[in-house]
Amino acid sequence: MEGSLARESALKEILPENTAKTLVPQAEVAREVRPAPPRYRNEIAKYIIRRSSDCTLCGRCARVCPNGVHVLKPGYKLFSAPHLNVCIGPSCRKTDHYCIDLCPNKALQMVENPMLKAMGDYRWTPDMLMATWRMAETGEPPAPEYGYEYETGASGGGFDRLRFRFPEKPPVDLLDDEIDTSIVLNRRGDGRPQVKIDVPWYGGGMSFGSVSNVVQLSKARAAVAFNTFTCTGEGGYMERMKPYDDHVITQIATGLFGVREETIQRVRIVEFKYAQGAKPGLGGHLLADKVTPAVARMRETVLGISLFSPFPFHSVYSIEDHQKHMDWIKHINRQTLIATKVSTPNDVDMVAVGSYSAGTHIVHLDGGYGGTGAAPDIAKKNIAMPIEYGIVKVHRFLTDEGIRDKVTLIASGGLRTPHDIAKAIALGADGVVVGTSELVALGCIRCSRCESGRGCPRGIATTDAELASDVDLEWGTQRIINLYSAWRKELVAILKRFGMRSVSELRGRTDLLMHLDYTNDVETHI
Amino acid sequence: MRSGIIEKILRSRQRLIEELRVPYPASYKGEEEGGCGVVGFCATEPVAARHIHEPSRQMHNRGNGKGGGIAAVGFIPEQLGVTREVLNDYYMMHVAFLDNTVQGQLEEKYITPYFKVETSCRLDTVEDWTAIPSLEARPPDVMRYFVRVKPEALDSFIAKNELGQLTREYAEGEFLSQQAVKLNQEYYASLGDKKAFVMSYGKNIMILKVVGFAESITDYYKIDDLKAHVWIAHQRFPTKGRVWHPGGAHPFGAINTALVHNGDFANYSSVCEYLAQRHIYPQFLTDTEVSIQIFDLLSRTYGYPLEYIIEALAPTTELDFDRLPGEKQAIYRAIQATHIHASPDGPWFFIIARTLAGADKFQLMGITDTSMLRPQVFAFADGEVQVGLICSEKQAIDATLHSMSQEDGRICPIADKYWNARGGSSTDGGSFIFTVEKNGSGKYGLHCTDKFGVPVRLPSGAEIGNLSEEIMLSGKNGDKIAAGIREHFDTGSEGLFRYFTGSIAGWSLPDVARACEAVISQARDSNQFAGAIEVMTFLNDRRYAAGTKKRKHILQIVRSALRQLFSKMPLIGEGTSTAEFRLINYDTRGQLRGPREGETTLIIDTLGFPPEGNDCNSTLLVDAYVKGWKHFIVYNCAGQRFTGCGLGPHTGDVTIDVYDSDGDYLASGIDGLTITVHGNAQDQLGQIIKSGKLVIHGDVGQTFLYGAKGGSIFVLGNAAGRPLINSVGRPRVVINGTCLDFLAESFMAGDPFAGGGFVVLNAITLDDEGNVVDLKEPYPGGNLFSLASGGAIYVRDPHRYLVRQQLNGGNFFRMTDQDWETILPYLQENERLFGIRVDGLLTVDGKHRRPGAVYRKVAPAKLSGTAEMESDEW
Repeated sequence: MEGSLARESALKEILPENTAKTLVPQAEVAREVRPAPPRYRNEIAKYIIRRSSDCTLCGRCARVCPNGVHVLKPGYKLFSAPHLNVCIGPSCRKTDHYCIDLCPNKALQMVENPMLKAMGDYRWTPDMLMATWRMAETGEPPAPEYGYEYETGASGGGFDRLRFRFPEKPPVDLLDDEIDTSIVLNRRGDGRPQVKIDVPWYGGGMSFGSVSNVVQLSKARAAVAFNTFTCTGEGGYMERMKPYDDHVITQIATGLFGVREETIQRVRIVEFKYAQGAKPGLGGHLLADKVTPAVARMRETVLGISLFSPFPFHSVYSIEDHQKHMDWIKHINRQTLIATKVSTPNDVDMVAVGSYSAGTHIVHLDGGYGGTGAAPDIAKKNIAMPIEYGIVKVHRFLTDEGIRDKVTLIASGGLRTPHDIAKAIALGADGVVVGTSELVALGCIRCSRCESGRGCPRGIATTDAELASDVDLEWGTQRIINLYSAWRKELVAILKRFGMRSVSELRGRTDLLMHLDYTNDVETHI
Repeated sequence: MRSGIIEKILRSRQRLIEELRVPYPASYKGEEEGGCGVVGFCATEPVAARHIHEPSRQMHNRGNGKGGGIAAVGFIPEQLGVTREVLNDYYMMHVAFLDNTVQGQLEEKYITPYFKVETSCRLDTVEDWTAIPSLEARPPDVMRYFVRVKPEALDSFIAKNELGQLTREYAEGEFLSQQAVKLNQEYYASLGDKKAFVMSYGKNIMILKVVGFAESITDYYKIDDLKAHVWIAHQRFPTKGRVWHPGGAHPFGAINTALVHNGDFANYSSVCEYLAQRHIYPQFLTDTEVSIQIFDLLSRTYGYPLEYIIEALAPTTELDFDRLPGEKQAIYRAIQATHIHASPDGPWFFIIARTLAGADKFQLMGITDTSMLRPQVFAFADGEVQVGLICSEKQAIDATLHSMSQEDGRICPIADKYWNARGGSSTDGGSFIFTVEKNGSGKYGLHCTDKFGVPVRLPSGAEIGNLSEEIMLSGKNGDKIAAGIREHFDTGSEGLFRYFTGSIAGWSLPDVARACEAVISQARDSNQFAGAIEVMTFLNDRRYAAGTKKRKHILQIVRSALRQLFSKMPLIGEGTSTAEFRLINYDTRGQLRGPREGETTLIIDTLGFPPEGNDCNSTLLVDAYVKGWKHFIVYNCAGQRFTGCGLGPHTGDVTIDVYDSDGDYLASGIDGLTITVHGNAQDQLGQIIKSGKLVIHGDVGQTFLYGAKGGSIFVLGNAAGRPLINSVGRPRVVINGTCLDFLAESFMAGDPFAGGGFVVLNAITLDDEGNVVDLKEPYPGGNLFSLASGGAIYVRDPHRYLVRQQLNGGNFFRMTDQDWETILPYLQENERLFGIRVDGLLTVDGKHRRPGAVYRKVAPAKLSGTAEMESDEW
């Protein structure tokens, strides 16, 4: 709604003329779904088809398959490796083009991909990973015939045991474009811009250091396309990020790496990171191998030396220090909003109301399910309160205090799918922050090797130039745009079933949720 | 024997808890609160309550208006409508009524049967509480009772609890304290809707608290003129939004004692457990309540001397423990082993006021936690009226002294000494105690000691009665001095300053005043103004021999002259003169415009500006910079924050000079500009500095240069705790004093020889004459350069006082010629700025030494290349 600062004529009154922000034209990225096939020739698939030596290269399988799984290139004497990721598996049996049965020589055999047993984990099941890849490839929710169980994981708790209580039929029939998925980030009425984002999520903080700059830029470009935000994480603001200023949240974390007045003046939201739900009380870690010359230069530190961000801020030991800290940033940038990211300790409700009273616009709760491989295993899931409890606790407390509509409550920490997002909102959040899902869209396989050596075998969570060159910027952007598109469609579908015109109607509707362990409800299938 | 009676006291409390059926304490606090703003001061003459107004108002941003409280100790009997005997012999009991209908019943049940009530009154209030804007809820009605326990009641209490060994006075105190527990249990702790509670009880002591800002108390209860020897005020920041009564506000009281607290315990539940094992249960469920319970237990039940109480609260650890004498170690070890669970974990700072010895001796003390996580400043102003002060921020001290000196000219607005405590240390124990008591001649005197009883040394020099009266006297040499000034004025500010320093030792204070007046009257055109400002600034910043005169009195004259000079400049929006300087103040801020031809410097009078927000003077400064101003003088500061912040990059041609009490975060994030603080500075200065220059003519507070990335920084005095944490890049810092602890933790500032950063720690102070004097210890803390991976610390340590145990990840390296060449330019600039001569720094015990024999280099242990580690036998 309100434009970029750069476009506001009052800017000259607000920022010194020499702030570089005014000099950088802001990039535009179309919100357009385009196919973005996997980077690797043999994408991991749910099923594999084995071809025995009985194959006579008759080519029938290639002719019957509408998805193009089998590839027999003209002039070749053998089949190429099949495109198994587009194979719909055993559900194909019901069709008239099931290659296994149609093969005249019974040379084809379909089995479940044994690799799946080694891939993912209980929270990110192989199905969920593959479904996310499909969404990133096509921009659509995966077709049911693929049979991905992707709405929930297999953790046996949290969002995986929550279900929606959908009405048998929607109370009102709505068209997709009657449904509004936008949320407002500033509700304080303090004269600062309201800042509306088109989808109820934005990208989580991942520093240059934790991920490559191509990944950061891909996230930023997708944020532009969806008029939402991405966060720099702790570790500086790349030159190449500047065309996306209006959609970047710059993070001030406890190490203060890469934070400068100029970076604060560039952006519309500044995030204070007090703690991460994946590792509350442990600060931040960037291990030595990832401190490459480029990272060291950006953070102005010593090459090859591990970087630790302390816990907590050495200048903030109380709420009035926090207020002072925020006042400082508000002074440097008179238009920016402040987000306060905290983990979910037992007294998270007090923390939230304290942050509000100290002047924050966004309270960002980070629960314990999130975290990449860089967070110590002992900390992940074991310290912070599960986010589904945290959200409800804070939402209700803020409501009781009479200030719920003065603050935007954002949840994060292991929110993987549009269904998780909808559940978080129904629990009481206004919106969410997503992190890992975006990396999965770029091909992450959840191998949890983010922190080791130069990092990621898939070239995502790495600062090694050669590894990082595996991800192409255009492709990365498109994958995340596609994922966001698919998510938005799913979210709209959920709202439609409830007959809600706006995602904000879903907020706090715990009555629409059931927990399979604590209620006698029977799961209704979506 | 003592332990027998302790058992009996504890058993009597157990009986009480059982009779009252108080449930076992839950492990959580009733409400969370943040740190707060605290101020405490004491004086040898009773001072009026109104002096808590200004410091409290200036610390609004440390509270949120949802809890304020004050305590006072040592009254004038007539003001309370009692005789001296009653004031000294009777206990004052203040009961807050949230529901007035219970008063009769409460008195019948808890007061009249047990106490002889000498007199009682309801505290007078203004009629309409809503007329006081800083109140958020109707304050409680407060009844004040002057009571003694009826002898028969006391007898039966002693008999029942077998407390015959105790003095009757002690037993009476215990009775009172248990009576308060009973009352609070029935009318407060056991109820959802609270009805009444005891606010304070003890001799010559009062606590009042409200839901609102602290200073509203004096307005509401109409006690602006009430005088007392000791005052404490507290601004609270409870995070829960709906607070309708001040039960949880500070101060909390125990007998004869009031305590306020800035901070937060991480181990509230273990402290509660410790207390519950001794049959002390919380009733208000806040950190502060348990703090006073521990203090009272250690002091009254266990009878510990103050030193041991402080040790139990803030244990001495690490290197500091090792440096204690053996005997002390044995005692401290026993205290720690017994009471470690009573030691609050986390950030905290206590201010405690109490009456002692027949209600005619008063104490004010500040105790900081071992890690010094909360800000704290102490000050002592000597004179005919002596004043001791303890505050969260130095600006609050300045505000208090200023307010007091306005009313009583005998009080100097500048203290003789300002300092910080080093928590849990072997040097001062992290605590200072001001004691007001009568001396031999029957007059009240004030002295200040640290935890170990070592008195605080004040600068030498003669005290005077009343400076403003003193300088009215015509000095003998008035005309001669004026002529001297005229003669030297055109030689430039350096020459004039030399004239001053050459003569000032022989001048009287009226002479100094005449000289300053002469300088002001000489300044007629812009050029001369600049010169006059410069010479007055030199007089303010530099140390020089002043004969028997105290520096604070000279400063008072000089600062007043500076203010006169600034205020003489043409106001913005007035006239068309093409003066070099333009003045802008709160009233004229709307007329801000860009500089006109010939105008170079904007002077901002910060009086009346709020400390932060879009209407603060730092914002005005940014706006002025955008309009083209490049040079700024900021004066009359009273804690306004963020000076110099927000100008963005490329500000190499900007200068800002700051006078008076600057606020937190000054110069944070500067990227090019030069900012000079002409005096002591506060907390969080120079966060994330990218480039530019910061000069501080005094001490600086907590977390200085956190996350700094560059810049040249010069500090005349000390830095408090945790300077340069997580600093990277190329900051180059000279600190002429030392730091409390944790200097350059996680320093990552590259290689000093390749453009990286470093700190030169000179570990000196300047004596009253301006001579370089070595500090007793170059670096007293137990943590230097911990976990650092880059940069270096150059410590001036000719006697090799520093030891490896102070380093964690660092090592000592031999100082090479290249090291010296790297730091020399900064020492030369240091000489230019502060007059601290490089030659002087290299002189040890009267002998000139080579740099390698004076400075030691601390660098990462893994330092590459050919650097040579110091050998042990050097």
